[in-house]
Amino acid sequence: MTPPPAPARQPDFQELRMTTAPSTVTATDLSLRYGGTHALDGVSLRLSRGVTGLLGPNGAGKTTLLRVLATAAPPDRGEFTVLGHDPGTAAGRLAVRRSLGYLPQTPGFHPDFTAFDFVDYVAILKELTDRGARRREVRRVLEAVDLSDVRGKRIKRLSGGMRQRVALAAALVGDPGFLVLDEPTVGLDPEQRMRFRELIAQAGEGRTVLLSTHQTEDVAMLCHRVVVLARGRVRFEGTPAELTARAAGRVWSSTERDPNALAGWRTGLGTFRNIGDPPKGADLLEPTLEDGYLLALDSESRTVTA
Amino acid sequence: MTWHVAEEDLRAYAQGELAPPLLWSADTHLTGCAQCRDRLAGAVDPVALDAGWERLDAELDAPRPGVSERLLVRLGVADHTARLLTATPVLRRSWLLAVVSLLVTTVLAVHLADRPVLFLALAPLLPLAGVALSYGPALDPTYEMAVVAPMHGFRLLMIRTVAVLTAGLAFNGLATLALPGYGLLALTWLLPALALTATGLALTPRLGSTLAPALVGGAWLTLLAVAHAHTHGTLAPFTAAGQSASAAVAALAAVLLYQTRDRFDARPVGGFADGGAV
Repeated sequence: MTPPPAPARQPDFQELRMTTAPSTVTATDLSLRYGGTHALDGVSLRLSRGVTGLLGPNGAGKTTLLRVLATAAPPDRGEFTVLGHDPGTAAGRLAVRRSLGYLPQTPGFHPDFTAFDFVDYVAILKELTDRGARRREVRRVLEAVDLSDVRGKRIKRLSGGMRQRVALAAALVGDPGFLVLDEPTVGLDPEQRMRFRELIAQAGEGRTVLLSTHQTEDVAMLCHRVVVLARGRVRFEGTPAELTARAAGRVWSSTERDPNALAGWRTGLGTFRNIGDPPKGADLLEPTLEDGYLLALDSESRTVTA
Repeated sequence: MTWHVAEEDLRAYAQGELAPPLLWSADTHLTGCAQCRDRLAGAVDPVALDAGWERLDAELDAPRPGVSERLLVRLGVADHTARLLTATPVLRRSWLLAVVSLLVTTVLAVHLADRPVLFLALAPLLPLAGVALSYGPALDPTYEMAVVAPMHGFRLLMIRTVAVLTAGLAFNGLATLALPGYGLLALTWLLPALALTATGLALTPRLGSTLAPALVGGAWLTLLAVAHAHTHGTLAPFTAAGQSASAAVAALAAVLLYQTRDRFDARPVGGFADGGAV
């Protein structure tokens, strides 16, 4: 199915600034197989300063891409650079790791450590061996995520949101230029999620942040760029506004489920919201980022009915 | 207070020139001694003094380390190394208790059967298992963060290996003392233990952190079974020739391990806890 061309649209100043911003992370043709599965299949992308959202369904390859860019797993094929360093060499890999902050999907904690101990431990792994300098840095990052008051509490006694903030504090140790966050808002309640988004927005000032998520709200609220990944391939790369624009003229309302729609779901009003190729005379709706995302997934999309 | 920071040290502290461990000692003392803090306030160089206060502030802010960590620092281990050791997964109480229970049971069995072979067969496997479990995703919850940290993976591995080996060999040594009737024979687990551990580590970059120690452990048990089938007296690995062979294997494996040290950094030798989530 070939989507109709999106209506012509003038890029705004912010988008022009972003498209001309220098790349800090570039990846070319990255591929990685796990067993018989192509976790990554020829992924190429460019990141610049600010927060870039990585959207995709479960199993899309988001975690694998983040692990590759964080030097946790080398690709089978392809190459990439981070802040000008090539992780293909031992010296380049070390340079990348020195400028990296990584928050994995399920950050693990030593259960007996306090928040301070844990961040201190990560600071040691990041080569901060001078005790005084290390403790000042630990205090700084704990303050940055607003956890100074609970620094002496054991991590197992902290809430899920606080634990995520401890992990973010650990990622921020050493003021890294490239921050990789793997679904950090999963499992958080709405209030915690908002708090965490504020922290990510702050962290994105002056550094490159790659934020993996399957929540379009995260992208809408935080990101100046978005990459959509499905089945190990990049399906879209651009601004959130451009992703939304892809759905212009392709979202319509109907009283019954439209069997020709690529996807459709019942809204709170009782009508169906459909995306795909609208029938003649359809009641077109204003597209959202989520519509654009579902269309970008294209063949990944399923018809959803209520 | 029974002591106070010496004038000379206080001046060096105020100028930011006091080196560890005197610096740590001064930090700790100043947190609790108002008199020395007043003397420090009168010292020279306000910029360095501000840095000192900031460091002191950070010191006051830091929670007190655990008992084992404090003990390691008192024994002369650098504080950052002590923290890395404290975080070694298999040095937790549950694992240590399991090892002690197993050894006690084995020693009792040896006394009952009046043959040390069960102990000699088991003792080399404990350090191998301990070291295998001290890294990799199975037991280390911070594994993924450690993999991408700039600290060289081999260095972290060696720090943990030394810690686990020390604990394991100490327990084995204590168990050996409970078998005085067998003389030097009761100590013949030591070289096989080093050989198995070194071989397991040397094969890990090629075979992974589960298969390598499993194969090495299996090979050890197979070797003992074969020796048992062909020998009536002391089993071959515990004879002089067997001990020499163990020493040679340990040395060769150590060389191989050193040569492949960079492989521990290039890719996660243990895979990921989720098996490689996509």
